[in-house]
Amino acid sequence: MIGVNGLSREVGFLARDRAALLWLGIAVLIAGVSVALGLREIASQHAVLDDLRASDQAEREVVTDLYRDWGDVAYYTFHLTYDPPADFAFAALGQRDISPWKHNIRALALEGQIYETDAQNPDFALIGRFDFAFAASLLAPLLLILLLHDLRSGERAAGRFELLGATAASQGSPWFARAALRTGALALCLIAPLWIGGLSSGSGVSKLALASLVVALHIVFWWVVCALVDRAGWSSPVNLTALVGVWLALAVVVPTAIKVWVEAAVPLPDGGEIMLTQREAVNDAWDLPKPATMTPFIERHPEWADYVEVRQPFEWKWYYAFQQVGDQTVAPLSLAYRDGRARRDRLAGSLAWLAPPALAERSLQAIAGTGVAASLAYEQRVRDFHSALRNYYYPRLFREEPFTEASVASRPEFDALKRPEATTPPLRGTPP
Amino acid sequence: MLAARSLSVERSGRKVVRDVSFNIQAGEVHALLGGNGAGKSTTLLTFLGFLQPSSGSVEVRGLEVNGNVEAARRAIAYLPEAASLYGHLNAFENLRYFLSLAGADTSRKELDAALDSVALQADARGMRMRTYSKGMRQKVAIALAILRNTPILLLDEPTSGLDPVAIDEFNRLVRDLAGAGRTILLVTHDVYGACHVADRIDLLQNGALVGAFERPAGMDRIDTEAVHAAFARHAGAIQ
Repeated sequence: MIGVNGLSREVGFLARDRAALLWLGIAVLIAGVSVALGLREIASQHAVLDDLRASDQAEREVVTDLYRDWGDVAYYTFHLTYDPPADFAFAALGQRDISPWKHNIRALALEGQIYETDAQNPDFALIGRFDFAFAASLLAPLLLILLLHDLRSGERAAGRFELLGATAASQGSPWFARAALRTGALALCLIAPLWIGGLSSGSGVSKLALASLVVALHIVFWWVVCALVDRAGWSSPVNLTALVGVWLALAVVVPTAIKVWVEAAVPLPDGGEIMLTQREAVNDAWDLPKPATMTPFIERHPEWADYVEVRQPFEWKWYYAFQQVGDQTVAPLSLAYRDGRARRDRLAGSLAWLAPPALAERSLQAIAGTGVAASLAYEQRVRDFHSALRNYYYPRLFREEPFTEASVASRPEFDALKRPEATTPPLRGTPP
Repeated sequence: MLAARSLSVERSGRKVVRDVSFNIQAGEVHALLGGNGAGKSTTLLTFLGFLQPSSGSVEVRGLEVNGNVEAARRAIAYLPEAASLYGHLNAFENLRYFLSLAGADTSRKELDAALDSVALQADARGMRMRTYSKGMRQKVAIALAILRNTPILLLDEPTSGLDPVAIDEFNRLVRDLAGAGRTILLVTHDVYGACHVADRIDLLQNGALVGAFERPAGMDRIDTEAVHAAFARHAGAIQ
């Protein structure tokens, strides 16, 4: 272990090592920039939500003023649903780059509304955003490799290795102290900007501590890798080549292979297929006899069996019934899609132990609530809310209740703050 | 203080030291003389525990090095050939770093005294060592070996890079250290220097001892001509 004297000696030595200071400075810069970019992105998402919330309320008031028919009100009223970023999301944006986190939904067929929304920039699905999780899981190992790859081999090349070994009071000295100090310094350079950003954004200390632990363990893993390669006694260039090769394998090749294998092992329909199938079902309903819609609707909603007779060519209850049937038509596809995403996520999570950078990134996303599980949980909250909307409108549409503003006031509102834990949600079909 | 007993060492599958034995008493200066690849430095590194004997053993203060490496190293100050200390540190910083590594706490006065003893210019001591000549770097390394204040010094080509005046000063320093009770094993291919400083010279050729010379009682050096002739006969060429 390192004594106080050994630590102060190596701190002084490190403080005079310009190359090491350069890499540590770059680590601070990378972590600082990634945290700043993450905070800016989250601030931008909050600003978008502020704007949307304001316009959402205003638009609903306009619709309520304009229309006095429940069918029109249900048709023209949009409801903002969204997944507000958690306070730690700045560190690991995760699925917020890939999966939608806000929808403007109506009481129409839902599944198409969920899956027609695209991510802001699909390219991010390929390269990911430059957030702290990316910096800590993929770039930090490279910096540690640069700091440690020539710890012994550099001294050997300079003709100091035997002198250092012969002079040191203990056999592990000064190598352990040097490596520990550099590893610790790198972890500190990464974690300090995270804490500054986290505390300024209101992140809980427990989340910051947990994220710091993930970063520290990941860095320690790479320290062990560097130590193993260093023990082979190769020259510095060979060490560097070997370590970069290991990094390439664990950070790029293995995660890519896992992704390819998981996608092959767990096939799933794409969101576009769900949307198209639902739209076809809804559009076809216009040309079908009314019972073709109302019969499957009643199977799901027997409580409205006494109200299914449609006398006019167009009635709102029939219109909303075939919207519902559209959802019922794609329910198996939608369930397969969500189930597939959850299974892929679980499988990828298990296999991530083979690729520590991917494991670290996933862990940070889990802490930030930005993983696939959180995305699926949000979609389920949208479904639950949409189900509540239908339960609100159906009695008014089927019983043809008169429109009253008092009744509008009791309409369900989406509660974005009702956040379940970021665990895989129970998979349910389209709610009745 | 130091002993090699039927020592053989292999490196990369090749036997580079063959059945070498010697015994060095306290206060004695012992030189291993030989050409390049004779096995001199390998023998030194075996005393420091960096290399393991393939057969035989080496002992430091009666303890076999194998299994007692830390104890052996604590008793030894080692001066490697063309010692390259840290170029981004000055002489004082280098000495403090290495001495701290050895667990020693040394005052500025003691550092200056050691650097005085190796005749390093005072105005150069605060300069970064990357600006030093090879000889100046060697002087700082010698000062380090002195400051370690160990009973044994292992010196690998210690006068390499030194000018003739500095070599004479170094030889005097070695004799003084021996006179103060230090045991010194130096390896060199400098016949003249070895004859002037050593109490005993073992001649190494292809890893084997091929000759031994001792300082005759009452003489201030070993017979240079005799060593020179033996060296030439065995090595084929004087370095």
